[in-house]
Amino acid sequence: MGCCFTTDINQGDSVKPLIPDPSLDSTSGSEQNTGTLPSNHTDEEDQQKSILRRAALSIIDVSAVVSQGLEQREYMDRARQYSTKLEVLNRTLSQKNPVFLPSLTSQPHQVLAADLVTYSDLQQLSKIAAYAYSAISQIKVDAKEDVVVQFSI
Amino acid sequence: MTTALTQGLERIPDQIGYLVISEEGVLASAGELENDEHTAGVIMQMVRTACRFRLHGTADPPFKRMSVMFEDYVYAVTISGQKVFVVKRQNNQREPVIV
Repeated sequence: MGCCFTTDINQGDSVKPLIPDPSLDSTSGSEQNTGTLPSNHTDEEDQQKSILRRAALSIIDVSAVVSQGLEQREYMDRARQYSTKLEVLNRTLSQKNPVFLPSLTSQPHQVLAADLVTYSDLQQLSKIAAYAYSAISQIKVDAKEDVVVQFSI
Repeated sequence: MTTALTQGLERIPDQIGYLVISEEGVLASAGELENDEHTAGVIMQMVRTACRFRLHGTADPPFKRMSVMFEDYVYAVTISGQKVFVVKRQNNQREPVIV
């Protein structure tokens, strides 16, 4: 385990762009376009070098840090602490998701191995469904009078 | 864990395949239903719909097993311990012959 952070206290540097935008610099904009190529090259090199220098100053090499090593007791304590924290989190997470699947039985194998629906039951079900279907299809509107009426005021 | 779930399913008479499904996905599958995620998805939808039925305002769903019956085979479905168990069984029942 380890962590990386910058030792640079000056917060302003963290938002300054690494490579300054040439279009913002109005004085050198037009001059740079007509300038000679070799000088541009060394400028870029200098810029790269300064960027590398700044990065090298900010980097902390985690692998070089010698770890202190935890005692067995300390290690076990921490492991217990983390696992209890995780348990609490898991509990709250599972409470958030409502239970969509109710339990129908505690003996799933028995229930699934039981006798299948018999052919006669199936025929009866089909008949009942057919009756229900025909009843629903016979529902119709019995129009007795006009819905829209003229009022004579 | 999967052997405990599937051992009982293997011994179901006339079974030609099974699925064990949880909210996260298929936990186990075998036979004609091996890797059949499509059937698993359809059956999950059917079972969720069926679980919403209630009789006379009772609290629990009014059934223990849902059967999807075809001519030659049946899908028998039940739920236990947040898992959906599906077994495909041969349907040997035929119209009784009147002699």
